[in-house]
Amino acid sequence: MRYLLICILIMFTVTLGAKTKGGKSMKESLVLLPVKNDPTVSFKIWFKAGSQNDPKGKEGLAYITARLISEGATKNNSYEEILEKLFPLAAGYSASASAEMTVYSGRVHKDNLEVYYPLFLDGILHPGFSESDFKRIKDETLNYLTTTLKYSSDEELGKAVLYDFMFQNTPYGHIEEGTISGVRSITIDDVKNFYNRYYNRNNFTLGIAGGYSQKLAGRLQKDLQALPEGKNEIAPKITPEAIKGLNVVMVNKDAPATAISFGFPICLTRGQKDWYALAVANSWLGEHRNSSSHLYQVIREARGLNYGDYSYIENFPNGGQRQMPPVNVARRQQIFEVWIRPVPNETRHFVLREALREVKNFISQGLTKEEFELTRKFLKNYALHYAPETEMRLGYAIDDKFYGIKGSHLETFRKMMDELTLEDVNNAIKKYLNYDNMKIAIVTKDAESFRTDLEKNTPSPITYSTPKTDKVYEEDKVIKDYRLDIPSENIKVISVEDLFR
Amino acid sequence: MARQKAEKIFPYDYTTTKLDNGLTVILVPMDSPGLVSYYSVVRTGSRDEWEPGKSGFAHFFEHMMFRGTDKYPGPVYDSIITSLGADANAYTSDDLTVFHLNFASDDLERVIELESDRFQNLKYNVREFQTESGAVYGEYRKGKTSPWEVAFEKLQDMAFDKHTYKHTTIGFEPDIKDMPNMYDYSLSFFKRYYRPENVVILVVGDFKKDNVLKLVKKYYSKWTPGYVAPNITPEPPQTQERSTVVNYPGKTLPLLIVSYKGDAFNVSNKNILSSVLIGDLAFGETSDIYKKLVLKEQKVQFIQADFGFSRDPKLLYIYSMVKDPRDVEYVKSEIYKTLEKFQTTLVDNKKLEDLKKKERYSFLMHLDTPDNVAGFLPQFITLTGGIDVVDELYSGLEKITPENIREAAQYYFMPQKRNVVLVRGENQL
Repeated sequence: MRYLLICILIMFTVTLGAKTKGGKSMKESLVLLPVKNDPTVSFKIWFKAGSQNDPKGKEGLAYITARLISEGATKNNSYEEILEKLFPLAAGYSASASAEMTVYSGRVHKDNLEVYYPLFLDGILHPGFSESDFKRIKDETLNYLTTTLKYSSDEELGKAVLYDFMFQNTPYGHIEEGTISGVRSITIDDVKNFYNRYYNRNNFTLGIAGGYSQKLAGRLQKDLQALPEGKNEIAPKITPEAIKGLNVVMVNKDAPATAISFGFPICLTRGQKDWYALAVANSWLGEHRNSSSHLYQVIREARGLNYGDYSYIENFPNGGQRQMPPVNVARRQQIFEVWIRPVPNETRHFVLREALREVKNFISQGLTKEEFELTRKFLKNYALHYAPETEMRLGYAIDDKFYGIKGSHLETFRKMMDELTLEDVNNAIKKYLNYDNMKIAIVTKDAESFRTDLEKNTPSPITYSTPKTDKVYEEDKVIKDYRLDIPSENIKVISVEDLFR
Repeated sequence: MARQKAEKIFPYDYTTTKLDNGLTVILVPMDSPGLVSYYSVVRTGSRDEWEPGKSGFAHFFEHMMFRGTDKYPGPVYDSIITSLGADANAYTSDDLTVFHLNFASDDLERVIELESDRFQNLKYNVREFQTESGAVYGEYRKGKTSPWEVAFEKLQDMAFDKHTYKHTTIGFEPDIKDMPNMYDYSLSFFKRYYRPENVVILVVGDFKKDNVLKLVKKYYSKWTPGYVAPNITPEPPQTQERSTVVNYPGKTLPLLIVSYKGDAFNVSNKNILSSVLIGDLAFGETSDIYKKLVLKEQKVQFIQADFGFSRDPKLLYIYSMVKDPRDVEYVKSEIYKTLEKFQTTLVDNKKLEDLKKKERYSFLMHLDTPDNVAGFLPQFITLTGGIDVVDELYSGLEKITPENIREAAQYYFMPQKRNVVLVRGENQL
């Protein structure tokens, strides 16, 4: 219960802090990042809109709108003409919609700025809403939802299923690309309406970075006043349902290996001291694609069961494709998430037990002084690699605005690594993490037999084709009988065909 | 110490030095306050796996390189890298294996010491070796769900009879399964390929050249030469078209890959330079076929070409995802028509000049951080042993004419050099 109360308090703060129409000065909605010797200029225009704003039955609208803006005609040029004009500039523009943010971005070499600028502006000010472009993007999105996501990468599928499960019945309760029926029902008028409502002149923050001239910021701000009239939008409340016990959703498919993801909502976002403390703890447990982290060490290094095992306290989409955290996917409501990359089907029960047991041990015991010292030292330098590019730094600066961070998250992050104590870190673990109440998403073959094994706490002894250390064998004896005690009503099996409908 | 030629497009000054033991060191200082990228490029990839039953070993060995030495055992190495906050990783492809770290300039000597140690003194036991083979099999399983992996596995197997490009980098599945039994072979692999003559150290970022060169000499000079070149059988010329259909055990739109046998990289070969440009001219976002099949008729979800470089003759690829299985033959014929057009008609000169401008600017815009600069160069290092070729390549591209383009199209896109793979999802025609 204490956990739920904290959530509500933070949600209130965010809501009260939001500005209404006219309440935001030009200065507040501008992020400037001059870099004298940078031969390029980067732009980002953040609109307060995302998949959380998809109307019911039109899931995918924010995503399709963003794509149509950046991959379709304008009133002045067909999409073909736009591509022709951008071609020699080696430049383009794109728009992405995550749960809460839509960001329209571009980057160009200074030499080509004057030719590029009107094209960049035309894209966002005068979208053509061409039926043909709309059909193309809608078809691609449907193909992604019906085939690519379901069949080509089980680990991405597992993560998508976990997020849907975690946030069911909230505005976050569907992936950005939407649902199959939602996308099918979207019309070009829906897209126009979404654009007119959210891509408005009072609902954006403008960011410019690199080797731009001082005049440029004023010029772009003025030019963007030609966006539709509208208000500064207030984001809907996100209240994930309380989780009792371990809850499993299993996706049944002919999978060659089993992908596992699990976690629970945490009411903590970057900028707060506790967040940095939890970041240290999380890094020790499961730093993304880092061989020193604990889960990686015990599941991959010691036992060779898969390719990697990581944990997160912020949304980290496309983890298989990236090393460093992404920008502009900020959310007010985050989850603690563990990602176990595919393991042999016959070891699935053992690995699930092992991973949950490791999380329990981590939460019960916290970090030792030595682990804490090493991890904070690591993170202080590692953070230097988060945003070496100007464009990434601009992305972080925009996210700072989202989270209401005065100053810079990246700087705060490094500073906090000097200031935090072991006590701060271990207190944050106790305050925000738990091991009793979780949601678990599993993509596997013959899910019904796994369900039976889970219901009955069937022992899951493991054999290896190659020798392991004595310590591993000893620990495995405990893991094989480790009780998860998941009641049968908490286990749901769905066919892959039935996902994202 | 050799210096590059004066005329240059690559925007940073650099030096290339060869140590007495054959190790090449390329130093590229750039304005990047406090940050350095350190790349060790081994000119060995899955191409070098010439012995039967040993496919996938270059990649497996990339994993083994993290197991440590007597001086710095694996966990100690990991813990030092962790304390430095370095962003460290590695990758393997057909022609190379690359170990790379990004870190603070102050830690340069530490990193040079650690890297030189593991390249000279790597040590691991059978148990560690066997456990790591499990992780490699996990990586294979992770990739296996992608229809693209299935497609490339089949394509390379079909297109090559003798050359090691027959297998993909991850290797044939039976060979991966057998890896735990290959401990002794792994030692021989290390002894033959991880030698100074076969490795190039590339350092990019905020540092003083003289200082770094001194450190590299200090830590790497005792490394003894001994590289043994692989015994790769050249692929005989292909004499007729090959094609196959693969059934993917899941749902996917049909994937069509049309590929043609290419040449070994040679920067003076105008056909090769022209082919790079043809890829974008014929199949890029402003090409006629893109406008027709993607934008107007919307028959395909995408179409694109990858006419890249390789150490030995490999393949020039055109891939497409077709929306309706019934349109596969139509799409294929449109691809052939496009290539025929390039064989018979001269490309518009303005279009060609626009493309050269685009190539130049995208090159310049990309080189903005030490890691982006360093990450761009290993392919050229493995192809030629150094990076002087970058300037030669870009100045060569500037000189390509519409006639060169036509000649290259005539030379490459012949039916007898063609290899076609179609991947169908379950329940498709």
